[in-house]
Amino acid sequence: MNRFLDWLDDRSGIRVLVKEALYEKVPGGARWRYVWGSCLTFAFFTQVVTGTLLWMSYSPSAQTAWESVYFIQYQVWGGWFLRGVHHYMAQAMIVLLVLHLMQVMIDGAYKAPRELNFWFGIALLGVTLALSLTGYLLPWDQKGFWATAVATNLIAEVPLVGPMLQKIVVGGVEYGHQTITRFFALHAGILPAALIGLVVGHIYLFRKHGIHVKEPRPKRDSYFWPDQILKDGVACLAVMLAVVFLTFYFKGAPLGPPADPSNEFPARPEWYFLFLFQLLKYVPAFWGAVIIPLALGLLIFLQPFIGASKKGHHFNIGFWWCLLAGAAGLTFLAFSEDQANLNHGAAVKEAEWQAQRVVQIAQEEGIPPTGAVTLLREDHQNRGRRIFASHCASCHRYNGHDGRGYSVEDDPSAPELAGFASNTWLTKLLDYEHYISPEYFGGTAFKDGTMAKKVLKKYDEDEKKLLPQVALLLSDLAELPYQDSLSEERRENLMDIYYDDLACIDCHDIDSEGEGSAPDLTGYGSRKWMVDFIVNPEHERFYGKKNDRMPAFGRDEKLSIEEIEIVVDWIRSKPAEI
Amino acid sequence: MNKTNKPTPDEPENKAECCSEDSRRKFIVVSTLGVSAACAIFPVASGITTILDPVKKSSENQAKVPWTKVAPLGNLSEDGKPAKFEVILSEVKDAWTTYKNVPAGAVYLSRKGNEVKAFNLKCPHLGCAVDYRSKSDDYFCPCHNSTFGLDGSVTDVDSPSPRGLDTMETKVEDGDVWIRFQQFRPNIVEKIPLS
Repeated sequence: MNRFLDWLDDRSGIRVLVKEALYEKVPGGARWRYVWGSCLTFAFFTQVVTGTLLWMSYSPSAQTAWESVYFIQYQVWGGWFLRGVHHYMAQAMIVLLVLHLMQVMIDGAYKAPRELNFWFGIALLGVTLALSLTGYLLPWDQKGFWATAVATNLIAEVPLVGPMLQKIVVGGVEYGHQTITRFFALHAGILPAALIGLVVGHIYLFRKHGIHVKEPRPKRDSYFWPDQILKDGVACLAVMLAVVFLTFYFKGAPLGPPADPSNEFPARPEWYFLFLFQLLKYVPAFWGAVIIPLALGLLIFLQPFIGASKKGHHFNIGFWWCLLAGAAGLTFLAFSEDQANLNHGAAVKEAEWQAQRVVQIAQEEGIPPTGAVTLLREDHQNRGRRIFASHCASCHRYNGHDGRGYSVEDDPSAPELAGFASNTWLTKLLDYEHYISPEYFGGTAFKDGTMAKKVLKKYDEDEKKLLPQVALLLSDLAELPYQDSLSEERRENLMDIYYDDLACIDCHDIDSEGEGSAPDLTGYGSRKWMVDFIVNPEHERFYGKKNDRMPAFGRDEKLSIEEIEIVVDWIRSKPAEI
Repeated sequence: MNKTNKPTPDEPENKAECCSEDSRRKFIVVSTLGVSAACAIFPVASGITTILDPVKKSSENQAKVPWTKVAPLGNLSEDGKPAKFEVILSEVKDAWTTYKNVPAGAVYLSRKGNEVKAFNLKCPHLGCAVDYRSKSDDYFCPCHNSTFGLDGSVTDVDSPSPRGLDTMETKVEDGDVWIRFQQFRPNIVEKIPLS
């Protein structure tokens, strides 16, 4: 072994190199405050390795980016863990950068003769943020897609060359293949290369000037090896454990539904950019994207000179504390505003639902060459919610919302449809107080109709006790997938109540030839009944001329039969949640 | 590394301190090496399984060759004369993409009563497409002149093919012929499926 080392040393001078690297003098002894640089190097090293491993399964194109990330997350052995480590280490890197920066500022390590190295550090901060920004898009999920749309629109604010610059970054006008390939080249090629170059310069300059010692010196001088390396290593280990903990705790990195320009999503950047996002609510984009960053950049550039005096140094430290406090305050505002915004909460929940749904379909049916976005676009459950939201929710509600979870500003003017025709739904319908409430017909002309005023209101106590039996009978006609059907005998008993005790048959037909004055209840709530009803509620089988504003969606071709069937299937698929 | 090369920042003041200093130093060196090794291994360790994933999957896939419908039994001549059929797999998964109705190859099917024999069209020698010659009632590879009998075995001793035509599992269900379509490693004596 020694002979080999001698041979190698003769030809490479490796012993001197290692000695110089390890026996760097640490005046005042090893200290915890010096660990941040090493932690950052460790974090970056982890990102390069895990990033390369992710690269082995990642495919940058509009039809394969989300799909390959899904593959990594759900199909590749241990892929979720690898992705989680890459994701949370990126966040740890931002935290470590701030800690490193603050340590340098407080200790005054940015002042002469270390100005150049300070600028290298600031450039490294910029490159790291750019890596985060570009990495956010790569899964090509809704979150990354919409957030990047905002970020790239800000580029257009740059005077003169802005729009051109935006086109170069986006790879055209529309977001697509070229956006991903360009972001990927930046994320996995250009930016890491720039980072490595800057780190080499950073470490060279650091070694040239040595550690800037914070006085008073706590201990006797020592060396980098092994005392400081042990402290650095323990800190890196702590970072590693934190990242592993986060990865397990959140079960890897999140993956939203696939990017879909036709499916709106509230764009939010990663948490460490939220302050910028919030700032843009108060200042024009030009200020947020150009003036303020430029002014701050210039000030930061000048800080080594400002810090030459004691007052200047205090100003610098104060400046960074204010900047951090401002960012923290804006971040807090961004969070709390989103928390208070019900529709934002609904949009996040909707996206979570879509993400779960698309993964479920992908696992059951596989992803077609057209990409996972088509799975969601063609999924009947997803379409059912969307059709309801855009065609039914202006009058009806579903569990009190628009079908997708969004609240609707106006009061409902037609019945709540979650659990339509179920036993629970019908029992409430046949109760007079509920019948005339906004949850049922309170918003319609039927509130004052025959059924309300002359039937339900007039029942005596004995008759009222029979109403739940009628509800049970009618709900059985609906053949809902989540409700057990009645026995033949029970059905006949209930039919007796319907025909004789309450004489519902006088107005509502069931399996009879005659034309009652009220809607025909043959197969009430069944798929066919509902489709026929939505096609044309003005048909004499249903409301006839008494129809109150319910559009004839099929007759007037507002919806295709397929769309009506999809929304009917969706309404019938689940019981009400409230 | 030579011990005398090491710069010593502090001279030990007496022997007792030297020994405790020595063991302290040893402890620090060992811990430092351990911690550094953990940090160095961590990134690769966190993704090593993803690299090994294809190996793991190929052993899982072996058991999962799907049945594919090839043709109605009625389309096969009852005298046992072979006919060529395209094999269209209803679903082929390539990592994250699932393709439907993918032509995957072709087979010769021959029938004896309700029993159907299936041969992969590919010559087990180097993968050329084998022809059925009705005149001599045998199979012939036009690339390197291997000949095979109707039962698939090599008939000519000069045939370069190391084994007979590759058979596949077949079944007849509701009047249709189904096969478990597979490719095999070429140019070896054993018939080993590719997976």
